[in-house]
Parts: sequence; structure tokens; C-alpha cells
Amino acid sequence: MRNALLIAIREFLDNTKTRGFWFGILLVPLLWLLASQVPILLARKGTPTRHFALIDATAGQQLFDVVLNHLNTAESRRELFHFREWAAPRLKSGQVLPMADKATESWSRLQEDLGPHMKVDAGRFVPPAPRNRPVALPEELTWRGDLVEFEGRLRDWMREERLYKPVGVDEEVPLFAVAILQEGASSNAAPILRFWSVNQADTQLQDRIVEALSRNFRSREYSRLGMDPSAIARVEGAQAQLMSFNPRKAEGEEQVGMTDLLKQWAPSAFVYLLWIAVFSISQMLLNSLIEERSNRILEVLLSSVTPLELMAGKLVGVAAVGAVMTLAWIGSLVLMTFWTLHTAGAAALAPDSVANRLPMELITLLGDSWMLPAFGLYFLLGYLFYAAVILALGSTCNNLKEAQNFTGVIALLMMVPLVSIAFIPKDPNGPVATVLSWIPPYTPFVMMNRVAANPPLRDVIGTLVLLVLSDVAVLWACSRIFRAAVLRTGQPASLLQLFRWILGRP
Amino acid sequence: MPAALELRNVSKSFGAFHAVQGLSLSVPVGSVYGFLGPNGAGKTTSLRMILGMLLPDSGELSVLGSPSAMAVRNRVGYLPEEKGLYRKMTSAAAIAYFATLKGVACGEAHIRARKLLDRYGLGAFADKKIETLSKGMGQKVQVLSAIAHDPELVLFDEPFSGLDPVNQEVLEEILIDLKARGCTILFSTHVMAHAERLCDRLLILGGGRGLFEGTVSEARSVLPVRISLETVEPTPLLEALPGVRHLEARGEGRWQLELEPGASASAVLEACFERSLRLRRFDVREPDLHEVFVHLVGPSAREASLR
Repeated sequence: MRNALLIAIREFLDNTKTRGFWFGILLVPLLWLLASQVPILLARKGTPTRHFALIDATAGQQLFDVVLNHLNTAESRRELFHFREWAAPRLKSGQVLPMADKATESWSRLQEDLGPHMKVDAGRFVPPAPRNRPVALPEELTWRGDLVEFEGRLRDWMREERLYKPVGVDEEVPLFAVAILQEGASSNAAPILRFWSVNQADTQLQDRIVEALSRNFRSREYSRLGMDPSAIARVEGAQAQLMSFNPRKAEGEEQVGMTDLLKQWAPSAFVYLLWIAVFSISQMLLNSLIEERSNRILEVLLSSVTPLELMAGKLVGVAAVGAVMTLAWIGSLVLMTFWTLHTAGAAALAPDSVANRLPMELITLLGDSWMLPAFGLYFLLGYLFYAAVILALGSTCNNLKEAQNFTGVIALLMMVPLVSIAFIPKDPNGPVATVLSWIPPYTPFVMMNRVAANPPLRDVIGTLVLLVLSDVAVLWACSRIFRAAVLRTGQPASLLQLFRWILGRP
Repeated sequence: MPAALELRNVSKSFGAFHAVQGLSLSVPVGSVYGFLGPNGAGKTTSLRMILGMLLPDSGELSVLGSPSAMAVRNRVGYLPEEKGLYRKMTSAAAIAYFATLKGVACGEAHIRARKLLDRYGLGAFADKKIETLSKGMGQKVQVLSAIAHDPELVLFDEPFSGLDPVNQEVLEEILIDLKARGCTILFSTHVMAHAERLCDRLLILGGGRGLFEGTVSEARSVLPVRISLETVEPTPLLEALPGVRHLEARGEGRWQLELEPGASASAVLEACFERSLRLRRFDVREPDLHEVFVHLVGPSAREASLR
């Protein structure tokens, strides 16, 4: 027992001293941070201003202003959004941002209103560069009223991806797009947008123009048919209110809220963590075993400890590494949730806003539900299963290359629970989830994912008992293989040899 | 003298391959015991059975009075043939770690590790990682890690292999120190000179069987004493000398005489004088361990190498 503990301590210290461990600890929160912040950052700074030319080739040439007004409104809303984001953390303590009134408000007006409530060192808001800027065409592309002739010149010009200096712009810029507005095929048909651009991936500008044209056309059509466009807009904007109830909840509290949504989806996050933890620490275990095998340390160890002590020590030591790693991940995720919301100025939002309630709901969920104990239990049982198999197979290999043949198969088997993460919460007690729960290598992942959906007690206890029994059987069989194989040299063992070792004498 | 280690008719097979067959030996307490044999003779398998890493198919073992080495493992030290340590550990930490696995308290293990490193000239490398040490230094660190728990019995598998002559001397010094402390030492080797210098008793192993067990001088007596002689006397006079088993002419009056077991070279010299033989040269040459080893294991070793 003492020796197993000593081996566990060495294993723990050895692994926690590696760069890989710290990389692993930092990687998950870093990925989370990147996933949550990079799109925001890209939206703010990453997309350059798109310079485009707009040509109204319709008879009345009324669509030109319609499109520009629509784009300007969208730009104002974007500026306002950025202003609110900027202003929230700069408000004096106790001040709350007024509810957004997107239709009428502009950021400069809101800044005026908020002026006395801003902190002294708040500074000045600099609006972001516009997303789209209409510009005049270069001279050689002057619109002469002949669409075919114009598009011929345009195609040649744009193919060269040339830069030019439009009026009102200080530098040479590429022409992102040329939008030609054309009458519909018939007098009652919607107008056509002929959108020329070498960039077919960024569709926001063409989407906005199509939206402007469609709205304008619909409005005109309503008027032509004698209907009130504003009344129709109001009616179309109305949306039914959703009130979701869960009959399984206590009487009077059946309404589904944020906690319920968190409860439904948090297990998926835990399954993901569980999967990464089991997968990465199984690799650590394998690396450590292969190092001891290839450096011939095992023989010295086995003169001091029994194979079972050695195996137990390694399993416990690496399990401790995994536990520290996952706790660090969970802790860092909670801390980062607080930090992100703090920097976003959540305090300035209404006290019952989602952003303000989220961290506390998360803490309450982790503290009060079965989520953490279930995670701990399934982590331990899942880890023991895979780690024992890895140790047994690793003990038959002389180097990492040989071991990768085995680990490749195990990694493939482990893909099933990874794929199931997304669909199990949608039907947590359905036939697929139930069947997967009863397959011991998948039980920890699938049952963790079902934990919030109150699976039948039969499934909870039955799969748990089966998993524990499987762990015992796998540990026993793997310890037999480990004991027989660990000092052996030469070719990796065949499947038949593995069975012989399980049933034979050392 | 009581035995620190005893094997009685021990056998071990791996499938159809008989690694050790009916091996018996007895290592007296406080002695240095040599385990000699060519590659594949069964030395490492025997050591692994002694250590309890492998179970014998038949026969009995007694290690420090216990039928299983695992029961007395904290009193046994082991240095395997293929040496290896944790590359990222420091020398002192590695020695201390293996000592703690043998029951030494953590603090005491670190003190002992540093003392041993100082004692055998590695004090300056106590805090160096194993990966930065030369092969010889690493091997010395491993030897020290096998004895830091002050064992009563140490088993060294080819301890001298890979060491330069200077470090071989240091290792001999370690073995002599261990013996002086009353420790029983069993070591396997290919180098007969080490066995001749260090061993009180030895076992020569070939094809998994014990071919000889006894002291070094007993081993030498396995082969006859040879006398190189130069004389002008005719052959019949030489053949009549007492105890001569075989006579071989080497040309120009030179002869090699092979004596019968137990015959004395001085009796031959005395007879030469009595018979007034005119001798120009009379050299007595006792067989060395190398010759004995080759004589005993040569056929089986050659057979094994050709298999």
C-alpha cells in the first residue's frame, strides 16, 4: 500500500511537472476564451470596411435611396450596439443602462443622455469603422445606361482586383462589390439585384440590399393593394410569447427557466470535459509506462513492488493528475464566466438580466445538483476502465510506435460517446441513449449526459453496477496481462497470447 | 555457514523453451557469489525467479530464509542487466526514490543518497538530472540506488558491463565495501577476471543447467595442471614421470605435460631431479577460470549461438 502510494506520488509529480500538463490545464479555458471572444473581436475589428458602388438602373431610380437608407439604419444600430458595450462598464456605480430603443436611438444621443452618469475617466467613444461604405465608381467604369456594355467593362476591371482612390476616401482601396438594381421581370415582380464581387464568402452586404429591396417592394405592393404598410409591418413584427412548462418540476414551479436550460445542457459540457480528461490522461499513462519500459526501469521497480502495486500506483497517480486538471478546467470556466460578464459591464445591466443571473445560476447548479458528484463518479469509473486497458496493452509494447496501433483502436471506440454528446440531450431517455448507457465503455459518458433528464432508476443503478463489475473484471484481466507482459521483450503479443496471460500462470 | 540464498532443483520453461533446468545453489551469508554463464544460459531468468518476478515451474527457493523474495524485498537489492533510471530525475532523487520503495523513510533516503554519491565520487552530480550524466555515471547511480536501503543480499546482473576500467574499479570497491559490511552478494558476469578476484564461490551455468558449483580453486581443478618443459631427453623418460596423463611434443625439445587430477607439479619436478633429467625450462601453469568456463560451457554456448 505504501509503495503504491509512493509510485502514485511520483507519477503525479512527474506528470504535473511536464509542459504538456500545464498546456492541457490552460488549453481548455483558452479555447473557451477564444471561442467566445474571437468572433466578437473579429466582428469589431477583423472585417475591413467594404467599399461598394450602387447603380440604380430602374426607370424611376427610387431604389438607390431606399437601399442607402436601409444600410445607414443598420450601421447606426451597429454603432449603438458598440456604444452600449463600451458604456456599460464605464457607468458610475449604481447606474443602469436604459433599455435599448433601436428604432429611434443613436449613440450620440444616448451619450448625451448618459453624460452625467458616466465615470470621470470614461473617455470618449470612438465609433467603429463602417461596415459598408458606398463610393463612386472609378472613371473608366462610368455608368452609361447600357447594362451589357457596362458589365463587360466591369468584369474585366474587377478581375484585375485593382485598387483605386474613390472620392472622399484618403487611400487606395479595392472595390468590394458593384450592386446594380434592376426592374423585375414584370411590372408586379420584385426588383433584381445584380451583385458583382470577387468575394463570394462575405454575403452580409448583398443580404442587406436584398432585404431593403424586398421590404420596399412589399410595402409598395401593400399600398397598391390598398393595405396600410405600417399596420402590416406591426402585425408581421408581432411574435407569439413562449412559456415552456415541465410537468416533472414541483407544483407551481413548472415553468422552464434558465436554470432548467443550464441543467439540460451543462451535462454535455461535463461529458466533453470527461472525454478530454479520460483521453488525455490515458495518453499520459501510456507515455509514462512506455518510458519505464523502454528505459528498463520496470525491472528495478518490480524488484521493490508487486505488479499490482505498480499498476495501482500508476492508476491512482495519473487519476489525481486528471482530477486536478478537470477541477482546474471547471474552476477556470466559472471564473472566466464571471470575468467576461464583469468586463462586459453586467452590473450596469438590469439585475434580473441573463448576464447577471448566469454566473450565480451556474454556481447554484454545480452546488445543488448531482452534476459534480456524478461527474466525479463517472470520471473515476470511466478512467479506470480505459486506463487499465491502456496499461495492459502498453505493457506489451516496447515503444510508442507499437503502442499507437492499440491506442488508435481505442481512440476510434471513444469517438462514439463524443459523437453522442450532441444528440443525447435531445432525447436523453430514448432508445439510442438507453442502449449506449448499457455498454460499459460508454456508460460514463452517456449516463453523465442523461443525468439531468431523470433517467429511470433501473438505468441509473443497473448501468452503474454493470460499470463497476466491468471495471473490476477489466482491472483483474489487465493486471494479469500487465504482470505477464511487463518484463517481456520482443514482438507485441497477439490476441491469443493476451488471453493465455489472463488465464495462465506468470 | 547458513545460506542467504538457496535454490533446490528449480526449473522454468517458456513454452517449449527450457530456460532453467533443475538448478540448485547455495549462497553462504556474507559471501560473494559469482553467477557465470554465456548468453541465454538462464542467468537473468534465475535472478528473476529469485526476486519473485517469475514463479518457478518446479523446485524450491529460499531467500533470506523466506520462500518468496517479495516477503523480504526490503532486505534485497537488485541491479538488472539493462540499466535505466527516470531521465528527468536528479541523481540524488533517483537513489532516494528507490530507497523509499525499499522501506527507508523519505528524509533518511535523501540523506543516504547524498552520502553515497559523495562516497563514490558523484557528490557534484547529486542535483544533476540523469539525462545529463554519462553512461558510466548513470550506471554508478543505478548501483547506488540498488544499495541505498542497506540490503542484506544484493543481486547484480552484469554490473560491470558498459563500465570503463576506472569505473569498474569503483564498482569493485563498492562490492568490497558491501562484503565488509556483511552483505551477501550474488553477481553475474562474463568477465572471468572479476569473478576470480571477487568471488568466494561461483556457479557456472550453461543451457539452463548448473555445470559447476564451488570455490574458484575448485573450479580451476576441473582442468588438469599443465607443465611446459624443455629438455633433450628421449620421450620414454618423460612418459615415465609420475602423474603425467598426457604428453604433447611441441618441437625442438619442447613438451607440454598434462597432469592427472590431484597430481602435483612439485612431485614431477622432484622426479626430474631424481632421474637427473637435463631440463632447460620447467613452467607450471594452473588453468584459469576463463579456460574452465570455455571448457564447461563452450559446446553448449556454441550450439546456442548457432541455433
